[in-house]
Amino acid sequence: MSSIPNLNTLRTGRRGPRLRGGRGGRAIAENDDTSAEHLEAGRDKIIQQTDSDASSSRLSAVALGYLVDPYARCFLQQTEQIPKRYPIINRGTYVRTTAIDTLVLRFLATNSEQKKQIVSLGAGSDTRFFRLAGQKPEKHRHLVYHELDFEQNVAQKRTFLRQSPQLEQAIRTAEKADMYYYLHALDLRDLTNKSPPPIPNLDPELPTLLLSECCLCYLPPETATSVLQYFTMNLKAALGLVLYEPIRPFDAFGKTMVSNLASRGIHLQTLKRYSSLEAQRQRFRLAGLDSGQGARDVQQLYQDETWVAREERERIERLEWLDEVEEWHLLASHYCVAWGWRGAVFGEAWHGLVGGRTREEDRGDGMG
Amino acid sequence: MSDLDKSIAQLKACRPIPEKDVRELCYKARELLIEEGNVVSVDAPVTICGDIHGQFHDLMELFRVGGPCPDTAYLFMGDFVDRGFYSLESFLLLLCLKVRYPDRITLIRGNHESRQITTVYGFYDECMRKYGSANVWRYCCEVFDYLALGALVMGAATDLQPTDTSTADGNSQATMPSDSDDIEIEILNSAGQVLSRFSRARQNNSQDQSQAPNPSSSPSQQTPQRNGAPGTGASASSRGSSGNPGGAVLCVHGGLSPLIDTLDKIRLLDRKQEVPHEGAMCDLLWSDPDEIDGWGLSPRGAGFLFGADIVKCFNHKNDLSLICRAHQLVMEGFKEMFDSSIVTVWSAPNYCYRCGNVAAILELGEDGSNAGYAPRANGDMNRSNGILAERQELRMGPGRRYRVFEAAPQDSRGMPAKKPVADYFL
Repeated sequence: MSSIPNLNTLRTGRRGPRLRGGRGGRAIAENDDTSAEHLEAGRDKIIQQTDSDASSSRLSAVALGYLVDPYARCFLQQTEQIPKRYPIINRGTYVRTTAIDTLVLRFLATNSEQKKQIVSLGAGSDTRFFRLAGQKPEKHRHLVYHELDFEQNVAQKRTFLRQSPQLEQAIRTAEKADMYYYLHALDLRDLTNKSPPPIPNLDPELPTLLLSECCLCYLPPETATSVLQYFTMNLKAALGLVLYEPIRPFDAFGKTMVSNLASRGIHLQTLKRYSSLEAQRQRFRLAGLDSGQGARDVQQLYQDETWVAREERERIERLEWLDEVEEWHLLASHYCVAWGWRGAVFGEAWHGLVGGRTREEDRGDGMG
Repeated sequence: MSDLDKSIAQLKACRPIPEKDVRELCYKARELLIEEGNVVSVDAPVTICGDIHGQFHDLMELFRVGGPCPDTAYLFMGDFVDRGFYSLESFLLLLCLKVRYPDRITLIRGNHESRQITTVYGFYDECMRKYGSANVWRYCCEVFDYLALGALVMGAATDLQPTDTSTADGNSQATMPSDSDDIEIEILNSAGQVLSRFSRARQNNSQDQSQAPNPSSSPSQQTPQRNGAPGTGASASSRGSSGNPGGAVLCVHGGLSPLIDTLDKIRLLDRKQEVPHEGAMCDLLWSDPDEIDGWGLSPRGAGFLFGADIVKCFNHKNDLSLICRAHQLVMEGFKEMFDSSIVTVWSAPNYCYRCGNVAAILELGEDGSNAGYAPRANGDMNRSNGILAERQELRMGPGRRYRVFEAAPQDSRGMPAKKPVADYFL
């Protein structure tokens, strides 16, 4: 299914960074430029570091048995201890990973002989490819897996890949099953340039799933839209997008979240624009992913047996004594998984995953 | 200045005291606490506080808002430690005050006052970080085992003396009851300004049920007019003639237990142990009220959920006018439920530096109308059969003054350069 790209957004996105940067301006602007770049570099560094936060949360959840991930430890420095996070963070990490796994695995299982592609934006030290390759590579044959991230994060990941026989082995096994792994050092904002850098081996003809786990939300809204536009325009086949992002910035918890993260230099730049589940669905529609959209907050995902089976939930609740029930509800209702697509393969893959408007949303129960 | 006063001064500056002083303090505290029953008797007036969770600077704000100890008598309903960054300073300060002014401060046990929970939620790590060994943690845990399980506040006034201050919002004055009415509930901000005030409505038999904004689940035939604010149960359901002495107020960290139907059963427990995983003692510290009938399973994995019928029956049987508990984060700082038969008080503002909530403390005034005579209201006389009859009269609740406050401002905290980092998903 084809979509009509919003050319206007694309233009703003392309011009945006140049205008802000003031490149090619007067001499006086050059000075501003350097300090602005300094500032921007500092911000980028902080965003790059959010990956270590995500990876230590993953390690904590794995160590306690929430998740099975033999590769999580491969991305831990030798000297580092396994971090211990609070039970609600572990539970949230579990729900996030499990829900996105569900969407990914359903996609891969549909027309399983068909070659497919996954593009993970801001992947950092994510282990999803290795988990797919390591478990049952024969099930996920014919997969091209791309990870895009800042050069610094990619360089670090390459170092881990070189040092870990386990990861090397996983990649070799995967290649035998026609699964290919590509790591691209790329600033996503460069994709909004007039002549964006090439992404080697990105096949525009393959059904493709885009993943953004807390990635696009750090970009200015126009840039985030333009990055999506890059993929919706350049990829010709079926396209799905899965997002994991914070929502609901306007209530007491949301306001505190925004200001706490801002004090660490982390700015959730798209949060106000995509502040609710419905705003996320609408975002997919506008991006041309108009065959279907769904969005659920983490609390809803955890309670819904389609995503977390009852036995699983009981198992999770036995792992740790969670005294933070009210806090869990607050935290979990401020993060969402949203998905949308164009093309039949995703319609088939994600059939039965209910993510439409809920009655609570209709009532506007302060749930945005 | 005594050693104890020195320790208090040092802790008030948020500086830990030496390990040997902690050991001595804990020893003295245990000697004192061992004499207390499982349910401590406390006379009104008293200011009741909920969870603190190591938010030391907010505890200082609480004392600023509620008045210094010993000028104000305090009752803390547990969960002094864990989560916040200053569990040690917070708990030791409260303990020092307990030893220094034993009759002016009451501490009861929360579910976090436990060896197992403190190893997960931060107090153990904090002690290791600040002292380099687990000794202090161990001394504190020994004190935890001696903390009372509940408190019974006697002689609380049924009506408040109105606070003689300005209102926070000049316009709301008109909607407030005049000073001559009997005031049941008053809500003040941290500057002592009145946010709202509700008088105790007189018995009203002609009220149309459909007009009640929040239909009462009371088994009574009458539907009392509810003129309370949203979030309060300013119910007027505790009908009774003026001057009828109210029942006692039970304070407990979590709530009720299916194994406990009378206060005497709490008194019979052997409390001097680690909080068990199940049983009556566990339930008192872990349970929550909920909009259900009877008992339900708790999502916390310990304790139970209990409904309005359970609370009303328990209050009636034990001659209580109110159960006051903590344990659950409530965004507005306090929450009355079940026709004001139970209230949750939460005293940790912006909990975990993340939740954005306000905190509250509850002041119960002294009943001066009968010269300080407080009838024993713990079931020794007029013991009923515990069955709520159709026309059961519930005890008139005490007058309740809530002081609501926000987190201490960042600059006044004198925070170390490293700001607290709240966890999010990144």
